[in-house]
Amino acid sequence: MSKASNAEHDAHRPNVKAFMIVFGALLCLTLLTTAVSRMHLEHAAAISVGLLIAVVKASLVAAVFMHLWGEDRLIHRILYAVAFFAVFLVSLPLMDAHLLTPLKTDRAPVASQHPDEGK
Amino acid sequence: MSDAHGAHAHGPTSFWRKYVFSTDHKVIGLQYMITAMVFLMIGFCLMLLMRWQLAWPGAPIPFFGRLFPADLAPNGVMSGEFYNQLGAMHGTIMVFLGIVPFAVGGYGNYVLPLQIGAPDMAFPRLNMASYWLFLVGGVVMLSSFLMPGGAAQSGWTSYPPLAVINPGQTVWLLSMVVIITSSLLGAINFLVTAANMRAPGMTLWRMPVFCWSELVASVLLLLAFPPLEAAAVLELMDRVFHTSFYMPAGLFVLGHPIHVSGGGQPLLWEHLFWFLAHPEVYVLVLPPMGIVAEIIANNTRKPLHGYKTIVWSMIAIGVMSFIVWAHHMFISGMSPALSNFFLVTTMIISVPSVAILTCLIFSLKGGSIRFTTPMLYALAFLPLFGIGGLTGLPLGLTVTDIYLHDTYYVIGHFHFVVVTGSILALLGGTYHWFPKWFGRKMNDTLGKIHFWGSVICMIGVFAPMFPMGLAGASRRLYDPTAQVHNLVVQPLNVVSTVFAYGLFLFQLPFIWNFFHSMFRGEKAEENPWQATTLEWACPSPPPHGNFEKTPHVRRGPYEYSAPGRKTDYWPQGDPA
Amino acid sequence: MTTTAATANPDTHTGITNAKLGVWLFLCSEVMLFATLFTTYIVLRLSATTWPWGWDALNVPLGTLNTAILITSSVTIVMAYARAYDKDLKGFRFWMAATLFLSFAFLVVKGFEYHGEFSKGIWPSTSVFYATYFTLTGLHACHIIGGIIVNSTLLRMSYKKECWEHPLFLGRVEGAGLYWHFVDIVWIFLFPALYLI
Repeated sequence: MSKASNAEHDAHRPNVKAFMIVFGALLCLTLLTTAVSRMHLEHAAAISVGLLIAVVKASLVAAVFMHLWGEDRLIHRILYAVAFFAVFLVSLPLMDAHLLTPLKTDRAPVASQHPDEGK
Repeated sequence: MSDAHGAHAHGPTSFWRKYVFSTDHKVIGLQYMITAMVFLMIGFCLMLLMRWQLAWPGAPIPFFGRLFPADLAPNGVMSGEFYNQLGAMHGTIMVFLGIVPFAVGGYGNYVLPLQIGAPDMAFPRLNMASYWLFLVGGVVMLSSFLMPGGAAQSGWTSYPPLAVINPGQTVWLLSMVVIITSSLLGAINFLVTAANMRAPGMTLWRMPVFCWSELVASVLLLLAFPPLEAAAVLELMDRVFHTSFYMPAGLFVLGHPIHVSGGGQPLLWEHLFWFLAHPEVYVLVLPPMGIVAEIIANNTRKPLHGYKTIVWSMIAIGVMSFIVWAHHMFISGMSPALSNFFLVTTMIISVPSVAILTCLIFSLKGGSIRFTTPMLYALAFLPLFGIGGLTGLPLGLTVTDIYLHDTYYVIGHFHFVVVTGSILALLGGTYHWFPKWFGRKMNDTLGKIHFWGSVICMIGVFAPMFPMGLAGASRRLYDPTAQVHNLVVQPLNVVSTVFAYGLFLFQLPFIWNFFHSMFRGEKAEENPWQATTLEWACPSPPPHGNFEKTPHVRRGPYEYSAPGRKTDYWPQGDPA
Repeated sequence: MTTTAATANPDTHTGITNAKLGVWLFLCSEVMLFATLFTTYIVLRLSATTWPWGWDALNVPLGTLNTAILITSSVTIVMAYARAYDKDLKGFRFWMAATLFLSFAFLVVKGFEYHGEFSKGIWPSTSVFYATYFTLTGLHACHIIGGIIVNSTLLRMSYKKECWEHPLFLGRVEGAGLYWHFVDIVWIFLFPALYLI
């Protein structure tokens, strides 16, 4: 690296203070999520709290440790694209297995309509 | 990058480093290509055995029948289990060990860095690892024939619960995990190379169509293969540790209950498998389209019609290919509401494919066409791939698919796409780039014999499958005469088989031509086709490090017949 | 080389080093891999008639301990990167060794957990819940082992003088860190999904 680019390089300089703050936050959140879980909340509430805390923790790691905060735009774009495909990967099989189940053809009326069935 | 330069400076010395454990993208590309051709030939031979059984069910296989162990082929007559093994392995080998490594590992490795003016791939050692992983995976896959219980028997799609019960599937799954890891490494390498290693002036919109096709195919490999890797691990758990990811409770095999905890979802495997396998189809098809585009531009001596349309269509295909997968599952018991979604996306994805084909056909208009051997392949690709694509439409519509699903019509459709489409283009590409690879041309007469023989035989093999499928012949039958309604179309099976053997015979001139021309062929200079793209700007064969001087790109990839120039081509790197 | 390329032809260069771009693309494929596994988890859980509460079925205190260990290792590896950034040899080796120690600690704790379940007669085949638990944590442990291989290679390399003059060394440390943080993020989701909710 030449001297000219040193200034630009310093923007990427690891920020140890931020690391320590995030470290503390992550430990607190871990204890918090375990404590909340111990309370054995009702299903929906437990899942939303657990998921929310996990998302916060993961975002902290991604933003600060993986320095996605202030990262090159290209990498952000790549990640958006992956998120787009991952959403389909998760949601469509899920929709098939559960969300659309009530719309699945009910056997009984089919059997009564079809001449070969139900004999 | 530094590795590439280090190697360039010293130069590989020993035979092993130079030709076997090489990190040079050109050597790896050729290794991929030749290995893939061997696998294609093996997969084809498996099919020739199956075709015998289909045409003359119950007749002993001539010559080779006695070579097989008695439990596979008693008295030389193929057993049902053996037939199933051959079917599963034919599909797997052709797709995962044949065409993908040929198109991406082979052509991508050799041609892409040259076309963008790079000295090598971004990660040469990763590249080597990728090839050797692929070879190991392929050999493991083939060795499954020798395992107790034989090879996989549940098709290349490996649907549970059948696949979980079948002993051969363990090796299949293990080898798939290795092959997928290999193509993942390859995909990362291509993407980084194309992003970071382009020569000065080689902007994205000056990249040849072939590079774009490899780029899109690499994205598909990168994002669509991991789901199958995960799914394969889960199926492996089901097989080895008797978990129930894909196993519902209460299954009986041969009258005996299977002792698993149950609670699994067989449909989930189908979703995950096709999430990979539909993008996979476009991995099979896009690079061949790119090859055809290169050949057509070069041999019509005019710029490609609608370069940007082709590129954007490829990108659109890449994006859409992730959300069409369940059109393979219309009759699987999937939610009909979801079928409608996939029906619509399937109809949408056919639009960019048609756009590409239309652009390629329009490229012919007004060109002074040179009917060279590679051009013949490209010209044959256009209508035959078109037939393959159009016959797919009825399969994408739920109403017609319910009738056609699992019949020979489906086989006819995707073989027209993959054989008369992809393989034809890959063979044409061999004739096109052979002078670059070895500094010698392939024999033209033998090439034309190979072309006409192959094309006629390919049509002869696959065209009869459409009427057979429409007549209701199931694609999975070991003995087609077992169902009375198949007897009407059984003669077509004989026609198909005879042409398949013809197709085999017509590959012999190609094999001889390939190896003979490698050493004895007519010498070719740097740019024998008067082409414009960068790979023709370095010596044939290119030395280690490719270009003597980093090329500077000054114009688009297809500057043919530019007005006011003495020659009818204007290479990308030519100084003004 | 990448730096010279950046100055030579900015129009054909992303400005991101090959190693970093490669690692990010690899992580993209890993996102798809774990997205598949989580899809499987959700689909199986929703279709299961019963799904045990983590506190009844698993050892949550050990899981919490492992979470803390992995988070700490994420901090130590980012500290190793910070030391390498300043070309502080000793600091780098200290923090990298700490990371390796913590990753082995994670595996040991995991081993105790597995042992506890096996001794109770619980196997992956026991139920869909345990199948998911063993497979997902097992695949995650494979990723930990991969990280240990990468990190120990870097630690070994750092004992050679010339590696510090190598322009790519810092990039490799950064790439290893990115991978390790990703493995941490996966655990951050696995932990509540399997143990807590």
